[in-house]
Amino acid sequence: MAIKYIPVTTQYKQDRLAVLKPFSPKGAAYDEMYFVRWLGGLKLKYVALAALLWPAIAFAQSGGYGMGDAFEALLRWIPFLTFQGFLYNVLISIFAMTIGTVAGMALGLGQLSNISAVRRFAYFTTQIFRNSPWLVILFVILLAFPFEVTVFDITIPIPAWMKAVVGLSLPVMANISEIVRGAVRSVPSTQWEAAESLSFNRTQTMWQIILPQCFKRMIPPWMNWYAILTMATPLCSLLGVGEIITHSRQAMAAENNYPELLVPFYGYALVVFFVYCYPIARLTIALEKRFAFK
Amino acid sequence: MKNFMSISLLAAALISPSLATAETCENETWNKIMTRGKLVVGVKADYKPWGYRNSGGEIIGMEPDLAADVAETMGVELELMPVVGSNRLQFLEQGQIDILIASMTDLPDRRKIVGIPSPNYYSSGTNILSPKKLGFTQWEELRGKPVCAVQGAYFNKLVENRYGAKISAFQGTAEARQALRDKKCVAFVFDDSGIMSSLASGQWDDFEMPLPTEDAASWGLAVPKAEENCVLGRFMSGMQFYWHREETLVELEKKWGIQSTSYLAEQADKYADHLLDK
Repeated sequence: MAIKYIPVTTQYKQDRLAVLKPFSPKGAAYDEMYFVRWLGGLKLKYVALAALLWPAIAFAQSGGYGMGDAFEALLRWIPFLTFQGFLYNVLISIFAMTIGTVAGMALGLGQLSNISAVRRFAYFTTQIFRNSPWLVILFVILLAFPFEVTVFDITIPIPAWMKAVVGLSLPVMANISEIVRGAVRSVPSTQWEAAESLSFNRTQTMWQIILPQCFKRMIPPWMNWYAILTMATPLCSLLGVGEIITHSRQAMAAENNYPELLVPFYGYALVVFFVYCYPIARLTIALEKRFAFK
Repeated sequence: MKNFMSISLLAAALISPSLATAETCENETWNKIMTRGKLVVGVKADYKPWGYRNSGGEIIGMEPDLAADVAETMGVELELMPVVGSNRLQFLEQGQIDILIASMTDLPDRRKIVGIPSPNYYSSGTNILSPKKLGFTQWEELRGKPVCAVQGAYFNKLVENRYGAKISAFQGTAEARQALRDKKCVAFVFDDSGIMSSLASGQWDDFEMPLPTEDAASWGLAVPKAEENCVLGRFMSGMQFYWHREETLVELEKKWGIQSTSYLAEQADKYADHLLDK
């Protein structure tokens, strides 16, 4: 029997065939940059509104030991929390990012090496640290590393926060390694062929032609990882490293552990982290737009 | 035969130094403190009034005072290092701190890891803070009910195993107390001196400490395991003995506003110099 009609098409005119239109996602798609895109996407006016509302809400739920007392206590502790607490979060994040970036660059290039042993080693190292929980790595480094090193009769102490730097730089290293690999791969292969035809060797091509093009592309995801790393530094508080959350807890203990202290003290940590990370997120998104493929 | 003799002699010569070191004291930690001229003591920084920070960030409290007394007696400088329940024993094992005075309960399994010289300098028991309305009178009534606690406290397990309470452990006391107020649990299990001081603060008028205090447990300060029966361990025993005899601990208890315990009075009487007045 001959087919007389095709059910779908006959219902519509010829020019209204079912066509899959180009997909344009609304809102933040879940990818590596999800976090920064979400943070940077917050409108400043809503942030300002929240900043105004938050103390008002907090004050509304006052008990015997009032919220006023709790905020007064916070004011007393702010210098300590900031300069002996949050400053260490910033220090840890900057050092961990520096070490992670240098090591990650080496590892990323290692993943693209022509020598298979190097490539395999770099691949496995990347996968191990990219897929282990950060807290587990931190625990291992903090408890297994020595607290001082003796070199030629000179004893160099390693404070706990320095060990935290090493612990946090490992997962960052693995993720930077993937960024480098991805960025190099994203350069069209015709570039390699063109370089070869101009008798560039592999090293020259990589350093003089490919990497300069990758550099701009790597900045936004790199900053994204920096923001994530900064947010991850309070993990160290679980191990007693002196940073803002550890010190908030100690300050609350000194103020007799009134439950009313929880909102102002943890709220302060939230505000400080936001003030530090929000501009980074905005800048990252701006740079990403500027460097995007045209 | 000659060969056999020489081999066994050689073996004996090799073995004997290691046997000897196992018995004699190296006093490594003591010597390190003396050459460095500084004593590093692990104390709590989140356990008022035993060890906490003032708003300038310095660690103060009863245990830092004890540490200062130790350093003064030794004639060295003092450095206080904040520790928490989960890392204090490791710090001492690694040598990061020389001694540990951090409100630690003296337990057999802890004695396997570190040296705890007697006599113990303090003692506390376990009790609960719960709303008056619930009217608990026996520990058995906690069976199957949610009870808030602080992570790392040794009595959490006891209450769970012995009375079948469902423990939810929080990171800090503030969090655990907030959970009790939010009615997430029927009681907050903690040491009795801590509960008494919060009841005395006047913020917990609808709450009470209703049960008989259990498991009176001694607090011990700790030295590295190798120093237990050597100079440092013996010296710390002497320090604690004199803290009891001179009633230093009783005075410090008053200074830091801690409810006085019968344990300290008993110890002061036990170690008092009974010939002095005669």
